[in-house]
Amino acid sequence: MRDTIDFLINGESASARGDDAWLMLSEFLRKRRGLAGTKVVCAEGDCGSCSVLVGRLEAGKLRYRSVASCIVQVLQLDATHVVTVEGLTPDGGLNAFQEAMVDQHGAQCGFCTPGIVVAMQELMDGGQPLDEHAVRRGLSGNLCRCTGYDAIFRAALKTDVSALPSVEARFPSVEIVDTLAAAAEEPTTIRAAEGTCFKPTTLDEATEFLGSQSDTDTEAVTVLSGGTDLGVVRNKGRFRPTSLMLTGGLAALREVRREGEVLHIGAGVPLSEFEEALASTIPEMTEFLGWFGSPPIRHAGTLAGNLCTASPIGDTAPALCVLGAEVELTSTRGPRMVTVEAFQTGYRTTDRRPDELVTAIRVPLLPPDYHLRLYKVSRRKDLDISTVSGAFRFAVRDGLVVDMRIVLGGVGATVIRMIEVEDRLRGQPATLERFEQAGQLASESVTPMTDVRGSARYRQTLVRNLFLKLWHEIDAGRFAVETSSNPAGGD
Amino acid sequence: MPAVGKDIAHDSARTHVAGVSEFLDDRLPLAGELLAGIVPSPVAHGRLKHLDVSAARNVPGVRALLTADDLSAHNLFGPVVADEMLVVADEAVFLGQPVALVAAETKAGLEAAIRAVVVEMETLPPLLDIDAAIAADSFTGGTSTIERGDVEQGFADADGILEGVLDIGGQEQFYLESQVAIAVPGEQGQMHVHSSTQHPSEVQALVAEALGVPFNHVICTCKRMGGAFGGKETQAAPPAMMAALLAQRTGRPVRFLYNKDDDMRFTGKRHAFKSFYKAGYTRDGRLTALDVRLFSNGGCSTDLSPAVLERALLHTDNTSFLPNLRVTGRICRTNLPSNTAFRGFGGPQGVASTEHILHEVAVATGLDSLEVRRINCYGIDERNVTPYGQVVANNTLPELFDTLRADCNYDGRRTEIDRFNAESRTHLKGMALSGVKFGISFTRRALNQANALVNIYVDGSVMVSTGATEMGQGVNTRIRQVVADALGVSYERVLLGITSTEKNNNTSPTAASSGTDLNGAAARVACLKLRERLAKVAADLLADADAGLTAEFESVVFADGVVYDARRPQMRLSFEDVVKQAYELRISLGERGFYATPGVDFNRATGQGHPFLYFTNGVACCEVLIDRFTGEMSTPRADVLMDLGRCINPGIDRGQTVGGFIQGVGWCTLEQLVYGDDGTLLSYSPTTYKIPNATDVPEVFNVRFLDNPNNTISLHRSKAAGEPPLLLGLSAWLAAKDALRYVHGRRNEPKLHLPATGEAILMNLP
Repeated sequence: MRDTIDFLINGESASARGDDAWLMLSEFLRKRRGLAGTKVVCAEGDCGSCSVLVGRLEAGKLRYRSVASCIVQVLQLDATHVVTVEGLTPDGGLNAFQEAMVDQHGAQCGFCTPGIVVAMQELMDGGQPLDEHAVRRGLSGNLCRCTGYDAIFRAALKTDVSALPSVEARFPSVEIVDTLAAAAEEPTTIRAAEGTCFKPTTLDEATEFLGSQSDTDTEAVTVLSGGTDLGVVRNKGRFRPTSLMLTGGLAALREVRREGEVLHIGAGVPLSEFEEALASTIPEMTEFLGWFGSPPIRHAGTLAGNLCTASPIGDTAPALCVLGAEVELTSTRGPRMVTVEAFQTGYRTTDRRPDELVTAIRVPLLPPDYHLRLYKVSRRKDLDISTVSGAFRFAVRDGLVVDMRIVLGGVGATVIRMIEVEDRLRGQPATLERFEQAGQLASESVTPMTDVRGSARYRQTLVRNLFLKLWHEIDAGRFAVETSSNPAGGD
Repeated sequence: MPAVGKDIAHDSARTHVAGVSEFLDDRLPLAGELLAGIVPSPVAHGRLKHLDVSAARNVPGVRALLTADDLSAHNLFGPVVADEMLVVADEAVFLGQPVALVAAETKAGLEAAIRAVVVEMETLPPLLDIDAAIAADSFTGGTSTIERGDVEQGFADADGILEGVLDIGGQEQFYLESQVAIAVPGEQGQMHVHSSTQHPSEVQALVAEALGVPFNHVICTCKRMGGAFGGKETQAAPPAMMAALLAQRTGRPVRFLYNKDDDMRFTGKRHAFKSFYKAGYTRDGRLTALDVRLFSNGGCSTDLSPAVLERALLHTDNTSFLPNLRVTGRICRTNLPSNTAFRGFGGPQGVASTEHILHEVAVATGLDSLEVRRINCYGIDERNVTPYGQVVANNTLPELFDTLRADCNYDGRRTEIDRFNAESRTHLKGMALSGVKFGISFTRRALNQANALVNIYVDGSVMVSTGATEMGQGVNTRIRQVVADALGVSYERVLLGITSTEKNNNTSPTAASSGTDLNGAAARVACLKLRERLAKVAADLLADADAGLTAEFESVVFADGVVYDARRPQMRLSFEDVVKQAYELRISLGERGFYATPGVDFNRATGQGHPFLYFTNGVACCEVLIDRFTGEMSTPRADVLMDLGRCINPGIDRGQTVGGFIQGVGWCTLEQLVYGDDGTLLSYSPTTYKIPNATDVPEVFNVRFLDNPNNTISLHRSKAAGEPPLLLGLSAWLAAKDALRYVHGRRNEPKLHLPATGEAILMNLP
């Protein structure tokens, strides 16, 4: 079996084996390849200074997305094309965005600048003119401490996007695609001082491997998908798995399809694709995911990974839980389904058995007349972890709450379904008083912690207030029911 | 065409955007280079009971392991007062204080060795905050005071009195490039230290003292920093000292680099302050008396805390004339990493206290806070003397207030906000227009000096070296512009060299917004001396007896790379030709310039003097939108108007203004240092410590400069821009307070301390 990770960096072939393949990509680039334009600041994917573009084969074409190279191991880059700031800079010159950055004073100390060049390349790669909103959103994963961002906005808006070569144009993909496709066909096992990593190419190989490993007394295999959580805990020395299995090469896990009133999302689908897939069916979720992490995090992280970390504040868990989504787990014995609610069994523990692989999340669409409202309260709007999150799935008809399902995050060891509160609201008039009472009950029934993100009292107040906020939004007609007349309406 | 006044790109911009600007840790390791790290004290306060490094010494690849016993002779250090122990000998005074220093061949070996050191501490109760330190009578130094008028009479004359307490939070500098140094041992005890530092001369001195060698045995160089903001003024020294000690021990190059988490946990920050105040005011909002007691959280040692406190006291007035003032200050000694410089340097805290009081006066009198700020504002010809006795010369504050008020339609928007808040059940708006008057000069007189070395090569190219360090603020670009004009050559012909103590000695830190003022002025002095010599050479070349022109060096003009006699401008020499001729004539083409800021003086004992060369002024109006259910706040609009005199580089000045303002907004609204009861910093990385993101920038953001040609006392009539805009970030906090007025009215005014986080705002909503 192959014992290398084979990929390309700025159009040149690269191969890593052993300890080198276990390095974080940022370190490999800086210390092994001398590509020091990629900077490391936080080593946790929260600043964007280490951003690079990673091209992956999708239906015979390369699709480039920004990735935080400080939390991605070289292991995960098999059959990809990595493009760094050096690769985006034309020989002996600068590209159109770089020139605009120079003219507009978009760089001061210069440390965040390469990451910003990478982020803006991704945003402008489509060749479409940008508005300021898109630029701000596109920069939300890049921290700059010097400029206050304004000059970077101006640089982006002054860039003649049509004069900026796409990555595809800089690195024509014909040869690259062939090289990558060849690498992707063969499974690989990387043995290093730190541990062993297996990269299967089919689902059967994956489940057989997990099955073969689950009987032994050794450490359970850690399944590595996007790695946005594992990369951080590994960098911080909190958990260093010695046995890894990569799911990145499994085409079966990249499927997104609609089956009647259910969306089937493969476990390997990055959050950013999930976001796109939901735009027409559950737009509220798409909007909400826009506040999840940052573009590089959403490009790497997956829905399945977010659920498997089983964080009590995992941003997607309350939403999936309230929608009644199910997790598909597959082993050599076949698949089984478990609800998201039952999947998370405790603080950072799940119902997954060691020989099982999460293969899909199945999300029921909203029935007609039903609405979804997702709230995330955090210190900073972008690229922050929720202090409290709330998910409400409900139907209101003729002033009555016909149905209500509520899940809260950030107020306990797991995300919490508020069944008693749901019962208190269901069938009741949608009045401020009822929502106030429900909020009060919800607030009293949770026992949140005081931590770095907020006090217990603040969290309890937020829980109560989310009910008031929802009521005001319902009352303001945000969720106007089109299928029935509303006699009270008229504004 | 003069270069000064032109919008020239930062001199590293092209390499920054290409990712090829070299930062220290971008360097590939030198042959034999070792990696260094520390064994940190696990407790904020404790006594070392047992330290066993024997197992760690045996970890493969470990090349040196130093404890306090190895450096007892030179273990105490400090920029002003040597009262911090580099390596714990007995008592650890902050969490993360080094207990042992390690150098190893590899990162894995270093980490294994650090884990293998056995540290047993007797935990002592830590003092963490100002209240605890006051209760324990734990202070650094004595009480500083600035006093004017008769405070008691002022209270007697007042229509109303208000008293209160304000908590002002600290702030992490959050430079993106962590503290880093590479020490390369030389011959005969010499050491070359490459450091990411704002103050190479201090690193040189502290490294020399740690090594026990004279200063001339140590060279410190700094090419650039990946941000600093004050955090690398004094606190770049310990990493450099530790790297140098390990390099001295091993005879090999040593690199010391903090990761972000450790940098945030183990190094100093902006001081948290607490203000106890009593103010007397008239019905029309005028302050008749102000009695303020400021306490700062200095952390475990002296560091720069006395100077930070002094600047806080000197900025208690901010834009207001205070006829009767008594302000005192004390530094609390606590078990935190020693708090240090951060853009503003105490000024923001002193100003926050007074701006809060002005807001409370507005609430108490029912006036708009802008009316209160305006009626108290320094006058032009009267009410224009600061409490410390300096006249506010060329005062632009009234013009700034009135111009911005009109430009941003303050009064019209006030009406709109009144209406919005009356109607909305879900959101609240607030608005505040506040100003800044920031004193420019180091308050420590000796630091107001600079030297510069200007070398002209025989091809006519120019190399300038100063003590200024480049951290993104554009000081190199501005000095290039100044030198280019002083020699009458193009900007491109001038380069700035790497900052090095070998070329410039006894330099001051690049701090106090003074980098260009001091170093640019020194470079200009050197250029004028060179120009005079070259003018004499040129005069001889241009002299023409037949045309009736004798050599007259005073009429020689240098401009645009050519040299001519003003009496016959059509006859021109190139700058290179004049330089070549000077070389042939054996005339020196190198010069050193020296500049000492004239007239600055301050008597610390009396609190009186003329500490500042001039003031940089500005105003900002911020409008905020608050979600009544979550307390989350956004900034729909901000308008900033600065008086920066005549800008040397308007583009760079704009960058300083915007960057400083947003950093200030971050301090006031988002950034919160959260500590555990044991002194652990819980907000120690960008996951938990939130600096402003691109989406936090005001949606409408207008930044303009007032044209002010009257600052003749400074270099090219410019004004320093680095720190003052940060203080305008307070307008976001004041706007949040303004919003709360709408729901609280005149009674039970809530205390919105700094920072105004979503939680703080929500908990202050009824």
